Amino acid sequence: MPRSSSLPPRPLRLVAGAALALSIAALVVLVLVSILRAATGAAASSVDIWRLVVMTSTQAALTTVISLIVGIALAWALNRLRFPGRDLIVGLFASAIVTPGLIIAFGLLAVWGRAGWVNEASLALTGQSLEVPIFGLGGILAAHVILDASFAARILLARLDAIPEARLKMGQSLGLGALQRFTVIDWPMLGPTLPGLGAIIFLLAFTSFPIVLLLGGGPANQTLEVAIYAAVRLDFDLAGAVQLALVQIAICSAIILATAAFAPVSAATGRSRPPRWRDAGWARSVQWAILAVSIVGFALPLVAILVDGIGPGIIELAQRESFWRALVTSLVIGTGSAALTLLLALTIGMARAATASRLARTAIGAPAYAYLAVPAVVLSLGAFLLVRDMGLLPEFAAPVVVLVANALLSLPFALATLAPPLEAVAASRGKLIRSLGLGGWAQFRDVEWPLLSRDAGVVVALSFCFSLGDLGVVALFGTEDFTTLPLAMYRALGAYRSNDAATIAALMLLLTIAAFTLLPRLFGRSSDAAR
Amino acid sequence: MLHADRLAFAHPGAALRYEFSFTAAPGEITAISGQSGSGKSTLLDLVAGFLAPSGGALTLDDRNLLPLPPEQRPVSILFQSETLFDHLSAARNLALGLPSGMPAAEARARIAAALVEVGLPGIENQRAATLSGGEKQRVALARTLLRDRPVLLLDEPFSALDDSTRGTMRDLVRGLTERQGWITVLVSHHADDIEALAARRYRLADGHLVEQAI
Repeated sequence: MPRSSSLPPRPLRLVAGAALALSIAALVVLVLVSILRAATGAAASSVDIWRLVVMTSTQAALTTVISLIVGIALAWALNRLRFPGRDLIVGLFASAIVTPGLIIAFGLLAVWGRAGWVNEASLALTGQSLEVPIFGLGGILAAHVILDASFAARILLARLDAIPEARLKMGQSLGLGALQRFTVIDWPMLGPTLPGLGAIIFLLAFTSFPIVLLLGGGPANQTLEVAIYAAVRLDFDLAGAVQLALVQIAICSAIILATAAFAPVSAATGRSRPPRWRDAGWARSVQWAILAVSIVGFALPLVAILVDGIGPGIIELAQRESFWRALVTSLVIGTGSAALTLLLALTIGMARAATASRLARTAIGAPAYAYLAVPAVVLSLGAFLLVRDMGLLPEFAAPVVVLVANALLSLPFALATLAPPLEAVAASRGKLIRSLGLGGWAQFRDVEWPLLSRDAGVVVALSFCFSLGDLGVVALFGTEDFTTLPLAMYRALGAYRSNDAATIAALMLLLTIAAFTLLPRLFGRSSDAAR
Repeated sequence: MLHADRLAFAHPGAALRYEFSFTAAPGEITAISGQSGSGKSTLLDLVAGFLAPSGGALTLDDRNLLPLPPEQRPVSILFQSETLFDHLSAARNLALGLPSGMPAAEARARIAAALVEVGLPGIENQRAATLSGGEKQRVALARTLLRDRPVLLLDEPFSALDDSTRGTMRDLVRGLTERQGWITVLVSHHADDIEALAARRYRLADGHLVEQAI
């Protein structure tokens, strides 16, 4: 029987999804056309594109390799060890995906910088200053690896958790040692995930903006993203920015096309349950050591932010009107873009699930994934040029552009999380839904939403946190009147108001943690209540 | 003789408390039947050491098995699926059943002989993923031969097989049990498997085993 006959007919879903996909594709095209038009009309620029490409690729490649190695080691340790508070520690590493790069970069400075904890401790204990080269490639790699290795560890831990229990029992009854267990049982589960995961990490590092902006330490370590920002905001070299943006899009597109064959990595990983079989002897000691170093490496910068940021400086900051404006703007933009991301992902995901045609599914989904190839600063540049071409003032268009751009940048992750379960429901329950005569709304309310709501909460949390921590989009549109928390923090740092920056960083971190822990539960609970 | 005496266990949060008592003899197949969820796999997990009982005794020829971890128990297990590691060759899968440090030539000879014993000569280099369900079960049986443990636990091992392969596997298990003097415990909800193989039968109901007449 053909597959289409088992799918309930949902023309409205298809039309809505196709219309959205078309709109998103049109926006991509408009942004690209604006950039291309600016490129053809612009004067010559002196930007050294080749040097920037080499620098960006080198740091992204190093980040990818180190993050995967550290991520595998950490996932291995977390999978084997059982201890009180394990869920909390796993949650801590899972939060890496939403922890703003600006926060981690600032946290590293708080620990390893000239006025950081380590240097102050060294001065107090030995009278000697400990010069840690936190600015430059070392600092960039450290910040990237902290974020990306934690993200990789959480994804890989989910793979290890998914090893069938019967396979573990067989291995245990055969008396496999720790090393043999890793090569025979673990590696076949991890290996197929690594290319896709590596591609995502490479892309994240390649398009990283705030970390390089803060820790780059000058033009020598500039990446394409930062060079675009510098060309527009500092050098007023629009031609250079446009050339860099085109190179950036071309490279990102090539990476995405090359990795399209790999399985998408879902952002929803569920709860981690360690297997009963634990390693003993040397392996367990190594696992504890890995876990301890990882917790210190990841948590120490965050703890430093909270300790340095929560203090009397809050009162001073609270008296500034600009701070409250930035806070309200961040919350409104974050909430709006999270809601828009969920709406877009659900509409496109449901449309994909409503058709049996692979071509139609690809056509509906592809425009959303195109935003992987358009990094934040490039999208912002394109929108900036588009708004200018339309004769609008950027400051008037800023709120809408920042909200929509943030939603679109979160969309690939949201779709990778929600589309597969929607398609699985349609494939496995399609006949039942048809035979019961359920309408589209009833299908959504009674079948799809109860199964998806927790993942939807993850999507909303992700999108909110991405938007809250965004500096790439708002960097080009921000004004004195339109400022978000990351921009306010960056400006405070530039004006040597480090106390204000520390307080804003602490507030952003607390908001991120609250959103990431509470929203998925809130959404999960809403579906429990509806059932 | 493998003997369980009021071997007790309760899953956390579950009201039902299992208490298993049974005896299984060398060279014969002891079958345990019961509905899905009745506790058949729990019983095998207790015997294999994957679960720790809250009370009772488990002995093999009067030797207490309970303090031993799974890898040291005198037990081999054959599951319905996941019997082999798919990415390894048949020979590498079999080698996992041999003591470490065995000279390579001896290992190769023993692997080849075990494969002959289960009717699959010459498939050493074939990847497990390319084998049929029945062939996988036979390779897994060959590995239990190499491990040479006196107790063989079978957890629904024929459920995924077609009728003719099922017959071949039944004959193999019965023949090896008799020749090797294994104490084979078969858990199954298929009446025809039990009918064909069991020398001794128990039925699991309400957390207890009840011996049934053959």
